[in-house]
Amino acid sequence: MFRSEYKVEGGKMIKVQLNKDDGRICAIKITGDFFMHPEELIEDLERSLIGCPLNETIIIETIRNFIEERGITLLGVTPEDFARCIIKAGEGIG
Amino acid sequence: MVERWRLLDTGLNDAFYNMALDEAIVIARSKGIVPNTLRFFRWDPSSVSIGYFQSMEEEVDIEACNRLGIDYVRRRTGGGAVYHDRDGELTYSLIINEDHRLISRDFQKTYETLCLGLVKGLRLLGVPAEFKPINDIVVNGKKISGNAQTRGMNIVHQHGTILRNVDPALMFTVLRVPSEKIRDKMIKSVGERVTSIEKYLGRDVSFEELKSALIMGFEESFDIELSSGEITDFEKQAALKLKREKYSTKEWNFRR
Repeated sequence: MFRSEYKVEGGKMIKVQLNKDDGRICAIKITGDFFMHPEELIEDLERSLIGCPLNETIIIETIRNFIEERGITLLGVTPEDFARCIIKAGEGIG
Repeated sequence: MVERWRLLDTGLNDAFYNMALDEAIVIARSKGIVPNTLRFFRWDPSSVSIGYFQSMEEEVDIEACNRLGIDYVRRRTGGGAVYHDRDGELTYSLIINEDHRLISRDFQKTYETLCLGLVKGLRLLGVPAEFKPINDIVVNGKKISGNAQTRGMNIVHQHGTILRNVDPALMFTVLRVPSEKIRDKMIKSVGERVTSIEKYLGRDVSFEELKSALIMGFEESFDIELSSGEITDFEKQAALKLKREKYSTKEWNFRR
């Protein structure tokens, strides 16, 4: 498991745990003190990232699409923040 | 005609019942069984609540909690981990129909509108509180209240904490810090980041005095009248079931 933490400007914290295989996400858990509505879609969001290459642009796009399709509201974090934390975890730091 | 809301003061209860009752009130409100509601409550034993998206193991020192007899529970709302001291902290909940004039589709706007009730109440006590986006209330830049909101079943549910007094050392015994090395630093810095009503005013403030001020603040700010009420049998039964089947279970509390 690779882990990372990312503190968003304004104070919210994102923590990511992931496993990777050949440069792609094969397991991921996103935790933290942010707000996302409806809350129960977090697991679907995580599932949507499985198989995604560890590429910041693609991850941002994937999250943006998911949010738009499912009518999700984020508060205190952006898709870019999630992506940055995921990439940091993928690099095997922290 | 002045708009009447229900005021509940459910006193001291355990963490699992407290969170279950909040959800039970949301369900009752969505069924139209009860009016819009302001609830005050406290936690016995003292407890930690974590946000919906947080990991219990990452945020809470389970061993320390078990040793100290402190309960831990996951909330249905996002946001951060909170230590709810039995004697130092007051919690409130607002359960409001989503089509109410106070509710905006914009979460940030709604946080501000609802928090202004608390801000007004705190100012009535002589505490110059201000709303600080996203979800905090601060005094001279120091946090005195944290709030969290969710929606569902056409109901807005916001709950939050108001610090009457605070013990930073205990707070960081139960909440995990990145390392032991920085625990002392964090305990010290919490004094610079967090304050409480008693600390600011330099005098004792009873829960009764605090609640009275907050009631007036909400009434004035929301242009409503709060009438003391009781929880219905429906809410009581639903709360007991939710406590048993959700909030007291490992599946819920350790799901992330």
